[in-house]
Amino acid sequence: MSNRVITLCYRKIIDINAAKQWDKLVFEASYMEFKMQAQNYSGGTAFTSYADLLRHVPNAQAIAGMVMPAITGYVQQFANIVPDILNNVGKRFLKFNRFQFEIINSDILDKTKHQVAVNFYTDSLLWHDTVDNFLLVSDHKPAAIIDEEMLSNLFQLQPYVNIHTIKNLQ
Amino acid sequence: MERKNFLKSLMVGAVSTSVLVEACKKDTTSPTTTTTTSTSTSSGSTTSCSVIETETEGPYPTHTPASYVRSDITDGRTGYALTVKITVNNSNNSCNALSGALVDIWHCDAEGNYSEYGGSGTQATNYTTVHFLRGRQTTDANGLVTFTSIFPGWYTGRATHIHVHVYNSAGTSLKVTQIAFPEGTGTALAAVAGYTKGMTGYTYNATDGVFSDGYALELATITGSTTAGFALSISMSVPA
Repeated sequence: MSNRVITLCYRKIIDINAAKQWDKLVFEASYMEFKMQAQNYSGGTAFTSYADLLRHVPNAQAIAGMVMPAITGYVQQFANIVPDILNNVGKRFLKFNRFQFEIINSDILDKTKHQVAVNFYTDSLLWHDTVDNFLLVSDHKPAAIIDEEMLSNLFQLQPYVNIHTIKNLQ
Repeated sequence: MERKNFLKSLMVGAVSTSVLVEACKKDTTSPTTTTTTSTSTSSGSTTSCSVIETETEGPYPTHTPASYVRSDITDGRTGYALTVKITVNNSNNSCNALSGALVDIWHCDAEGNYSEYGGSGTQATNYTTVHFLRGRQTTDANGLVTFTSIFPGWYTGRATHIHVHVYNSAGTSLKVTQIAFPEGTGTALAAVAGYTKGMTGYTYNATDGVFSDGYALELATITGSTTAGFALSISMSVPA
């Protein structure tokens, strides 16, 4: 059986329908910050939507980076464990060290248009096998001997989870 | 066959199958497709149904303000200490102090570089992933906000300045402006003398693209020295 090292990306999308407490807080904080930052670019124009600002206002692509500090505190509350993605006994297990904030859509005057995503990039995982619809993975520790017993997790690929990188081990 | 046995052993291992049944009833994280298996267990479990979280809703989400909300905005940038005191009053309310307003300030570092920007023609150094020298405070009952920072440097084409954006408490923009620095012999600007860059090629207020149309209301008062640090103060009126 070939061993493959993968990293995953979970794109957590948050909009006006957010139901979980964390999602709601991120929605509110990112919209408030979007409104505040976007006004630095919309001044003197009739544009209020994120798409229009991107299309017509120079440097407006900086807005997402300017909004991100409003939600970094919330991401830190996860203590480097990816939310929502559970192993087969119902526990969160994926570790992440990098995330990327993304504004999908928004409007200074219309909160219902606000939609953002937080992309969580996981640490390296060793993909041992596929059991029915589940992937069997363990933390990839380059120094570890493959034959040693190691802790593993069974989980299912689900919507908005992508295999972000892959590398075959010889 | 081997896989089926493996799955079966997992289910036995998970205390009891009824746990799975309960879990599936209020599954909140299930993906869209469900395919029933041909296993003979009576639990009605499916292979594509993720088990609901059996732990608490960790981490407990608590309100955290944007990381801009801070009084000390230096973030490790070095330079002569500068305290910035901005007092905001309301021109629509007899120039009385405006409390509860959000005040954002941002300025360049000693070398003339901004955080959030870079890697482009106007700023070679890439600082797109850092947020130094940017901060937000809420005005107190006297309309005052205070920041701890460093004396800004300068960059080609602009006089030394600090950007200010005042919002009402709901985040609606009330005023975008800039603070200008006094020039000439004996001023803080002359004492700092552009740090290591010097003042050759410096753009003075009179020829600055932003300030040349008049900057009397934007001109700050600055006291102090390079050894003791500087204190900047300015009062501004905004329509709220």
